Amino acid sequence: MDSLGERENHQELNIGINGNLNIDKLVADGKSKLNLDTGKDRGSTVLGKEEKDMAPMAGNSIHRSSSRPQLDLSGAAIQGNFEEKDPTILLPNQSDDISHLALDIGGSLIKLVYFSRHENQPVNDRSRRIIKARLGITNFNRRSFPILGGRLHFVKFETAKINECLDFIYSKQLHRGGMDSRSWQIEGPNTENTVIKATGGGAYKFADLFKERLGISIEKEDEMNCLVSGANFLLKAIRHEAFTHMEGRKEFVQLDSNDLFPYLLVNIGSGVSIIKVDGDGVFERVSGTNVGGGTYWGLGKLLTKCKSFDELLELSQRGDNRTIDMLVGDIYGGMDYSKIGLSASTIASSFGKTISENKEIEDYRPEDISLSLLRMISYNIGQASLISYLNALRFGLKRIFFGGFFIRGHAYTMDTISFAVHFWSNGQAQAMFLRHEGFLGALGAFLSYEKHGLDDLLVHQFVERFPMGAPYIGGNVHGPPLGDLNEKISWMEKFVLKGTEITAPVPMLPPGTTGLGGFEVPSSRGDSLRPDASKLNVGVLHLVPSLEVFPLLADPKTYEPNTIDLSDPGELEYWFTVLSDHMPDLVDKAVASEGGTDDAKRRGDAFARAFSAHLARLMEEPAAYGKLGLANLLELREECLREFHFHDAYRSIKQRENEASLAVLQDLLMELDSMNEESRLLTLIEGVLAANIFDWGSRACVDLYHKGTIIEIYRMSRDKMQRPWRVDDFDIFKERMLGSAEKKPHKYNRALLFVDNSGADIVLGMLPLARELLRRGTEVVLVANSLPALNDVTAMELPEIVAEAAKHCDILRAAAEAGGLLVDAMINVQDCPRERSSSVPLMVVENGCGSPCIDLRQVSSELAVAAKDADLVVLEGMGRSLHTNFNAKFKCDALKLAMVKNQRLAAKLINGNIYDCVCRFEAADNSN
Amino acid sequence: MESVGTDEAPNMGEREFKSCDRDDVSHLSLDIGGSLIKMVYFSSGSSSPSDDQKHSYLKDGTNTSIGTSNHNGLRGKLHFLKFETSQIDECIKFISSKLLQNNGSLNPGGQDDKDLASEEIIIKATGGGAFKFADLFKEKLGIVLDKVDEMSCLVAGANFLLKAVNHEAFTYMDDQKDYVQINHKDLYPYLLVNVGSGVSMIKVDGDNNFERVSGTSVGGGTFWGLGRLLTKCQSFDELLELSRQGNNRVIDMLVGDIYGGTDYSKIGLTSTTIASSFGKAISANKELDDYRPEDVARSLLRMISNNIGQIAYLNALRFGLKRIFFGGFFIRGHAYTMDTLSVAVNFWSKGEAKALFLRHEGFLGALGAFMNYKKNGFTDITHQFMEQSCEIAQDLVCKDEDI
Repeated sequence: MDSLGERENHQELNIGINGNLNIDKLVADGKSKLNLDTGKDRGSTVLGKEEKDMAPMAGNSIHRSSSRPQLDLSGAAIQGNFEEKDPTILLPNQSDDISHLALDIGGSLIKLVYFSRHENQPVNDRSRRIIKARLGITNFNRRSFPILGGRLHFVKFETAKINECLDFIYSKQLHRGGMDSRSWQIEGPNTENTVIKATGGGAYKFADLFKERLGISIEKEDEMNCLVSGANFLLKAIRHEAFTHMEGRKEFVQLDSNDLFPYLLVNIGSGVSIIKVDGDGVFERVSGTNVGGGTYWGLGKLLTKCKSFDELLELSQRGDNRTIDMLVGDIYGGMDYSKIGLSASTIASSFGKTISENKEIEDYRPEDISLSLLRMISYNIGQASLISYLNALRFGLKRIFFGGFFIRGHAYTMDTISFAVHFWSNGQAQAMFLRHEGFLGALGAFLSYEKHGLDDLLVHQFVERFPMGAPYIGGNVHGPPLGDLNEKISWMEKFVLKGTEITAPVPMLPPGTTGLGGFEVPSSRGDSLRPDASKLNVGVLHLVPSLEVFPLLADPKTYEPNTIDLSDPGELEYWFTVLSDHMPDLVDKAVASEGGTDDAKRRGDAFARAFSAHLARLMEEPAAYGKLGLANLLELREECLREFHFHDAYRSIKQRENEASLAVLQDLLMELDSMNEESRLLTLIEGVLAANIFDWGSRACVDLYHKGTIIEIYRMSRDKMQRPWRVDDFDIFKERMLGSAEKKPHKYNRALLFVDNSGADIVLGMLPLARELLRRGTEVVLVANSLPALNDVTAMELPEIVAEAAKHCDILRAAAEAGGLLVDAMINVQDCPRERSSSVPLMVVENGCGSPCIDLRQVSSELAVAAKDADLVVLEGMGRSLHTNFNAKFKCDALKLAMVKNQRLAAKLINGNIYDCVCRFEAADNSN
Repeated sequence: MESVGTDEAPNMGEREFKSCDRDDVSHLSLDIGGSLIKMVYFSSGSSSPSDDQKHSYLKDGTNTSIGTSNHNGLRGKLHFLKFETSQIDECIKFISSKLLQNNGSLNPGGQDDKDLASEEIIIKATGGGAFKFADLFKEKLGIVLDKVDEMSCLVAGANFLLKAVNHEAFTYMDDQKDYVQINHKDLYPYLLVNVGSGVSMIKVDGDNNFERVSGTSVGGGTFWGLGRLLTKCQSFDELLELSRQGNNRVIDMLVGDIYGGTDYSKIGLTSTTIASSFGKAISANKELDDYRPEDVARSLLRMISNNIGQIAYLNALRFGLKRIFFGGFFIRGHAYTMDTLSVAVNFWSKGEAKALFLRHEGFLGALGAFMNYKKNGFTDITHQFMEQSCEIAQDLVCKDEDI
């Protein structure tokens, strides 16, 4: 997207919009016609293929007087992968596509939730259509999904700085978004009739200001309604939204959305509301207290002269409440009152110590006062809530959630509330908190728009992303959003990281990637923790309606993709080091993949800074981005690369290795064909394991590459295979495939092969295995990444590789033809694919992700459809079969193949060593 | 004779003990809390009401007495005193003076408080200070404190009062005090909320059958401590007095403040309901000095009373208790405090539960410790107490002919 002219594109681009298009402004190849199909739904893979970077609107654009809507086409460019057909057109000067916006205007903060739709790459090229036909996806139409893909952004501003909020809305033109693009088109720039949903006390107070500045009317939504619907939505739609917090340790909790109600929601705003929630829109305020966040802030302000809530909170972090509070030990002369279970350090009377001492307010440290106050109020809320909870137990209450601005992810507050709940329930009840705690109201207001269809969304349809600014965020938005990539990079260049300390201002974030802003001034200082260190970052929720749960999971509810739990500090530190060490090499590759230009170097540098900042943030607070598994961390790196427009860092390496491997494929196939069935199967599995050594994600392997050619390494690797492997179920697999004296051979109907790396791995490892399955009459679906990750082969690249391989092999050719992979060589294949070939088909589907790992709760709908008839799953490679899914159970037979290229993982997982192999075969688990 | 709820500020420093204050002291007991020391003792000397006026030099306004008699037919009185814990020396001075009067004994009968072998004087004491100051009493007075469990004392004291004293309990709503006659047989279970420095909430099921079910650290100590920081008041009573003249709407955020003067009727909140205590201090560009101490004291009192009332009610609801008795020194018969507690209980229970107050609210623990003397016989004669004066609630005597 940076420069259209760099590449040629021969696509036909059709303009499909009713409007006054100023073609002159189009910066496009003269041969092209632009397809500005903005009003229509075209999404398929929604995985943030591209960020839409919008420059702030020019001031006058809002007042365009045309009676018909205009698109601002200045600076238009093709977006995304240029190899694709029908690429998306980026209109950098057009505001984010239609958005919904809702506000929660509280006493101290304004919370803003908005939805931006984004155009996706329509993957409707011919081969895809054929595959869809083969898979029986006859009506594979996005319109069958309730809504379009898009992103949900969460932003907050200080109420005192409401003008910044107005500027933000204005610059992103959020107030002009209607319920869908058509209504926007009808209304055009005229905002007179625009109504924005809002909740919170300020919704009334600032209504006139919104009218005056943005010309929009505020429609006030009931606060409780909003809180409850916001909470219900989050608890149902966001995985690991809730967590417990005890003694500084966060534990994410996975809730069953079918077993959610009734629960108790404690919203701590200025005051506290305790609400029993029985269902969507069914709730009752059962209690509340006037001692809440307002009390803390109000009293704290009087006592300490702090200027802001956050300042007061920060003070508390360095306080010692023992100088202020009267403890049981103070009364009992240092002893516990054990008979009733009170330890000497229990607070007997908040502020009780100030009675007896002859001190004035100035004689106490504000830090201590703030902490005593915080403790008193948190504890009191926890207690009042707990008793309400206990009282509500007879209504079958299950859980107690705390939300609201008072909490702010503040560790001490959460700990105190948790302690109170734990203490007074004798450990029977646990307080839970919400990652999006501050946004309940705004989200609820957002959901109060009718007909957006978001209610029906399911947890697997959301992917949360943490863009480059995330590590610095926790505060509020200041100033206008960043415009384009260049501004992003400049932003990254402006600050210097010393450890985790940020020494430069943190500005706004780019609009296409996040709704969160940075701090106005650096808030960290010296050795003290950042005040928000324990705070959780809230990312942008990418809504991908086409994602589905992999249907072959034996028990999706208990499924946990990550094998490695990074909440273990030792693990996190190890992987932190691994990823840090690998970074220079990755940056080199990335820069080279973009031609090694100065621009690429600059982007590479910015990427390195951004990713380092993510790592530093996560080291500081592993739960900052939610439940952290290795898969999340690896995906974060890929996302971070994409953010700086490194779309495929390993592009040239992959190509080179594919070519080298394809060159020797014929020899390998001949070798295989000369073997008997049994040794061929063994050699094939050996081959998969041997070829899996080619992995650019592994440091050890990167070192290896410098010592030999692909084929040398492949042969050496295969020759060194010594059975039994560390995990060796080959004989079971063999018996299943080939039968034995007691058992008949089993013929699989359809196998899903989750492939890993490009080069030898796919060409010399997986393709020969696929060929063997095809030969035995099994349909084969190669499942590959939707987006590049390291040197992993993508679904986009596979058809070409298969086509090349098919030149050497009739079996592959026939199957690829049947599967529609060789469209160029065929005519009208989509009309009657089955009749054209007697072979079982070889197909390719994308898996819906862009990570070296795979979370099978969120796979592409194509894969989900392909899985329906499958009875064998083969997971290959460390990322997909060890880092994730090592413990996954399937409804069908599963084969997990990988070479362990990491000593620590080998030791931990299989009690083995580096280069040990895993061949794990598990028969169908139909216990559920 | 002064009532507990006096408005007079204590003036502990200037207090003296005159030798003319002669009465035979026996069975002295102490409740040494975090903020206050409560003392109960029995005197069997001259005990007409007029004599009690002598006590008026005890300017802390807490010298109250219950007249009674022992098994020997002697008329006697129970005296109630309090000291600030930080001024424990005053308390020691007082006991010392009584010791002198009584020739080194606190029990003329010499049966109970004197260990014959060691010649030690033993007095019953409860509260955390009984542990903390044990050495001090031993050192200064040669007195051994026999520690009695605090909760047991509170419960024993409350049970004694509720059974022995007519019209001990009353409700207080809208400045209206209504005495409640408690049927002894229908006393249990009830919730006893003792509001001292901190707050204990005890479910009482019988004479010695109770459980501390809850409590909060936001109590009298918080009111006094925070209030002192915020208003520079010199005493608890001064702070209470200030609060009577204050207007909490200046500082508290009311529902009406949020909803533009309207009620949030959907959830049953009127516009005058406090949404957030001290919440208005957030937005106003004011410093502490810009607020009237009266208003600050008022907000603080409402915050704490309301909170105690609510937590008490929630606990009562949890255990199905209809009656909540509030005791402890925080209350001090202060009308606004009681009103707020009552309103809180009434509001949250929708009129189902009632807040009840005790006239001897502050002395439950000390009285309970007193009841702990085995041979004092008080436990058996609870019915023999009667009010000496209806005007002065705490002044109770037992007539001779009742024996």
